[in-house]
Amino acid sequence: MLFNTIDYILFLPVVIIVYYLIPHKFRWIFLLAASYYFYMSWKVEYIFLILFSTLIDYLCGIRMEKLPDKKSRAPWLILSLFTNLGLLFFFKYFNFASNNLNLFFQEFGIPQDLPLMKFLLPVGISFYTFQTLSYSIDVFYGRQKAERHLGYFALYVSFFPQLVAGPIERFSRLTPQLKEKHTFSYENLANGLRLILYGLFIKMVIADNLSGIVDQIYSSPAKYNSLDILTGIFLYSFQIYSDFYGYSIIAIGSALLMGIKIMDNFKTPYLSKNIAEFWQRWHISLSTWFRDYLYFPLGGNRVAKSRWVINILIVFIASGFWHGANWTFIIWGSLYGILYLFENVLNRKLGLKKKHPKFSAVHIILALKTFIFVSFIWVFFRSQSFNDAINIFKLLFENWHVSTASLSIPSSIWIFLFIFIFSDIVLYNKRFDTWIDRLSYIYRWSIYGVMIFAIIAFAGVENFPFIYFQF
Amino acid sequence: MNRGIIKKITIKLVSLILLLVVLNYIYKFFFYEKDLQRYSDVINLVRAVPNDVDIVYIGESSNNSFRDDDIDKRPISALISDYFPDLKIYDITKPASHSGIYKILLQNIPEESQVKTIIVTLNLRSFNTVWIHSKLETSLQKSMVLLKPYPPIVNRFLLSFNAYDIKTEEERVRQIKEIWEKDTLHFPYKFPFKNVLEWDKWMSKTGIKGADGKRDWDKTSLACQYIKTYGFQIDTMNNPRIKDFDKIISLAKMRGWNLVFNLLAENTEKAKKLVGKDIVFLMKENGDILKKYYRSRGITVVDNLNVIPDDQFINQNWTTEHYAENGRKLIAKNVASALKRFYPDKYKEVEYSNILQTSFFNNCEDGVIWGQMSSVTSETSFSGNKSSKTGNGIKYSIVFLYPLKLIPDSLKNEIDIAFKVKPESDNHNGALIIQAKGRNFKNFSQNFSLKGQINQVGKWQDFHQTFIIPDSIKDADLIKIYLFNPSNNIIYLDDFKIDFE
Repeated sequence: MLFNTIDYILFLPVVIIVYYLIPHKFRWIFLLAASYYFYMSWKVEYIFLILFSTLIDYLCGIRMEKLPDKKSRAPWLILSLFTNLGLLFFFKYFNFASNNLNLFFQEFGIPQDLPLMKFLLPVGISFYTFQTLSYSIDVFYGRQKAERHLGYFALYVSFFPQLVAGPIERFSRLTPQLKEKHTFSYENLANGLRLILYGLFIKMVIADNLSGIVDQIYSSPAKYNSLDILTGIFLYSFQIYSDFYGYSIIAIGSALLMGIKIMDNFKTPYLSKNIAEFWQRWHISLSTWFRDYLYFPLGGNRVAKSRWVINILIVFIASGFWHGANWTFIIWGSLYGILYLFENVLNRKLGLKKKHPKFSAVHIILALKTFIFVSFIWVFFRSQSFNDAINIFKLLFENWHVSTASLSIPSSIWIFLFIFIFSDIVLYNKRFDTWIDRLSYIYRWSIYGVMIFAIIAFAGVENFPFIYFQF
Repeated sequence: MNRGIIKKITIKLVSLILLLVVLNYIYKFFFYEKDLQRYSDVINLVRAVPNDVDIVYIGESSNNSFRDDDIDKRPISALISDYFPDLKIYDITKPASHSGIYKILLQNIPEESQVKTIIVTLNLRSFNTVWIHSKLETSLQKSMVLLKPYPPIVNRFLLSFNAYDIKTEEERVRQIKEIWEKDTLHFPYKFPFKNVLEWDKWMSKTGIKGADGKRDWDKTSLACQYIKTYGFQIDTMNNPRIKDFDKIISLAKMRGWNLVFNLLAENTEKAKKLVGKDIVFLMKENGDILKKYYRSRGITVVDNLNVIPDDQFINQNWTTEHYAENGRKLIAKNVASALKRFYPDKYKEVEYSNILQTSFFNNCEDGVIWGQMSSVTSETSFSGNKSSKTGNGIKYSIVFLYPLKLIPDSLKNEIDIAFKVKPESDNHNGALIIQAKGRNFKNFSQNFSLKGQINQVGKWQDFHQTFIIPDSIKDADLIKIYLFNPSNNIIYLDDFKIDFE
C-alpha cells in the first residue's frame, strides 16, 4: 500500500477515526493490527519476517537487561545482530555475494557455482532491522530499559507510517509516544494534513514527473547530447530528493494525525555548504544511526588521524552498502567518504569552516558546489552498474553533437520544479506545516488550492513506487 | 471534541468542497480534454459514433481482424450492415476489451444519440481467469478511469492515485495460478483431473504424437493452451464479467436500447482434435450457461459458438476469435437474423457474389478496408477528409492485399497503379513496393522510387506506375502493394487506385 494510492487515502482516515474512538488501552492492539495489515498488503508472507525479528529482539532485550555486565549480555546482542543482519544478508545481499563469489571462482578456474535466490526483497527490511538493532544495542549498553510489553515493542518495530522507508526511529523517542494517551488535537490534524499534502505534492508532481524524463536518459544515454545528459543528471537529484523527502513527510504527517511526532529526515540538504553538512541534512535518521551505532563505537574522531580517516570511510561505505547490494552503491558511499575527507582538509586550509550568513554569496556558491558534487555522485546511485555510470560520464563529454533523440520536458514540469526549488529555499531550516500556519487564510488556501490541483491534474499517472522502497 | 473544533473542521471542510468545485471547473475547461486524449483516447471511438446511428456494434479485435487473402476485408459490423441497407450501423472496436470496458464506453454514448440497438460481443474466453487477470488489464483499466461517470476532477484524482486494477505481471500470474488450483472442474461423468493445473500437467507430460510417432511439441503446447483457456466453468454469482454484463443490461433498460449479445465462435473443432471431448463439453456448457442466463433476462443472444469451421480461424497456433472472410460473414448473417426481430421491414437477404474484382480504389475514407488502416489520418487529404500517413516511425502506407491466383491469367498481364502523394520534405526515400508470395516461387519484391515523379514539397502530386506481372508470380497466394517510407520525413498518400489489366 503506497502512500500515493487510493488504498492509503482510504486506509489512513479509517485508522485515525477508529484510533481516537477506541479507549486508550486498546489503541496499541488496533495500531498493531493496522500496521500489520499495511505491511501485509505488499505480500502476506513478509509478516513472518517482521514477527521473527520482533520476537528475537524482544527476548534479547529482556535477557540482556537481566544480566549484570556487557560480557554476559554479549551473546544476546550477538543473537540480535545475527538475526537482523542475517535476515538482511539473506534477503538483500545473498545474491550479490553469490554472484561475486561465482565471478571470483570463475576467474581462478574453481568449479563452483553458488545458487541464486529468487526471493523478492521484503519491503522495508533495511529500515525495520536497523530500527530493532538500535534498540538491542541501546539495551546492551544500558542506555535503554528493555520493553516488557510485547505488543508495544511489536508496534515500535512495525508502526505503519515509518515502517517501510523510515525515518528510522529510536525506541526511546517513539515508544513513549505510542504509550502516551493522545487526545484529538486540531493542531495536529491540521499540521498532519498539511505535511501529507506537501509530501504528496512533491512526490506525485515533482518526483513522478521527473522519473520518466530521468529514465529516458539513463536507459539510453547514447541517444542524447551532452546537455540533455547533464540535465538528466541534475533532474535525478531533484527526483530522488522529492521522492524520499515526499515519503518522509507523508510518514511524519500520518503519525502526527495520531499525535505522534516522528523525527525529521530532511532539512533542505541541497543548500548544504559541504558534504558533511549535506549528511546532517539528508536522510538524517540513517546518518545519525550510523553515527551512533557505527562511527562512535569505532572511536569517532577521538582516535589517531589515520584511524579517523578509516572510520569515516567505513561509515560511508557501510551506508552505501546499506542502500543496495551492488558495487554502484559501494562506490557511491566511498565517493562521499573521499569527498568528505577532502573537503575537511580543504576547509581547514582555506578557513571555510567559519559560519557564513544564510544566503550570502559564499553560502550560495558553496551550496551550488555541493549540489554539483552530489548530483554527479548520484550517477553511481542511479546507474544499474559501474560500467553504466562510467558510460554516462563518458557520453557527457563526448556527445556534444549527438541528436538522435532530444529530451522534451513539458513547461509544466519546469514550473513545478521551480516552485519546489523556491519552496525549499523558503523552507530553509523550517518545516512546511509550521511555515504555512503563519500565513493568512487567503494565502494558505491559495497554496492548498495550487497543491491540490497540481496533485490531481498534473501527477504522473504511472505506478511510481517510492525509490527507497527498494532498499 | 469541543464545539469550537467541530466548527473549525466544518469551515475547513466547506472551504475544501468549494475549492474542489472551483478546481473541477478549471480542470474541466482547461485540462480535461488534453488528459482524455493522452490517457483515454478510446473516447474518440465513442465520439465518432454519429448521433443519428441506429445500431452500435461494440466488440474487440474479432470484429475487424482479417486474413491477408480475404477478398472482402470488412469487419463483422460492416457485413451486418449489408443486411440492413437503410439502417446506420456503427462500430466501437477496442482490441482486448471485455464487458468491463464495454460498460464504460456505452455509458459515454451521449444522451442525445438516437441509437436504438446495441450489439455487444460476448466472448467466452473473456470469462476465463486468464483474461480476467491478463497483463493487458492494467493499461485497459487505466484508459477507462477518466471516462467514469463522475466529475472530471474526481476521475483525474482516481487516475493520479492509481484507483484501478493495477498489478505487476508477477502478481497477475500468481492470481491466475491460484484460481487454476482452487477451481475444481465438475463433469457429469468421471474425469481424471481435479483442476486445470492437473489437466495441463498431464497434457504437457503425455504430449501429442505426430505422424512419425514422435512428440509434436507445437501441437502439445497448443493443446495445453486450449486446456488453460477453456478449462473453466462460469460461476454466474461471482464472475466479474457477468456483473459487468448485468450493468450493461441495466444501462440498456435505462436508455431504452434493444440489446443483442453476440456469443462468438470458438474453435471447437480444433479443441476436440487436440484435447478431446472434455474440453468441448466445457466450452458448450459455458456457452449454455451464458445463453440461459441472458435469455432469461430478456436479452437476444446470438449463438455462434459452433458455427465456424477450423479453417476459418486466422490464428491456427493460438486461441483467438479472429475469423477469415467466410467466418465473419457467417457471424454477420446470424446477428442480422437476430436483428430481424427489431427491424423486420428493413432486413434484406444478402447473396455475396463471386464476381471477380480487378479494379480497386481506396480513398482512405471509411468503407474500404485494406491492410495498415492504422496509418490513416485526418491531418490532410487529397479527397475527402483522410489520407494515409507514412514516415517518422510509420513505415507502411495502407496496404493492398489480394490473392492474385484468383484472377484468371487473361486478366492479369499488368497492374496499373496510381495514387496521390504529398511529401513534407524532399529528403525522403519513399518507394512503391510490389511484393508477392506463393508456394511455387521465392518471395518476390520490386520497388519503384517516388523520386523520379515526385519533386515538389508540400503539394499533392500524381504518382503512376505500370507493372508487368511476371509469369512466375501469377499463381501468387498473395500480392501486396504499398508505399514504403522508412525515413523520418512524412509522406501522405491518398486515392490509391489499382487496376489489373
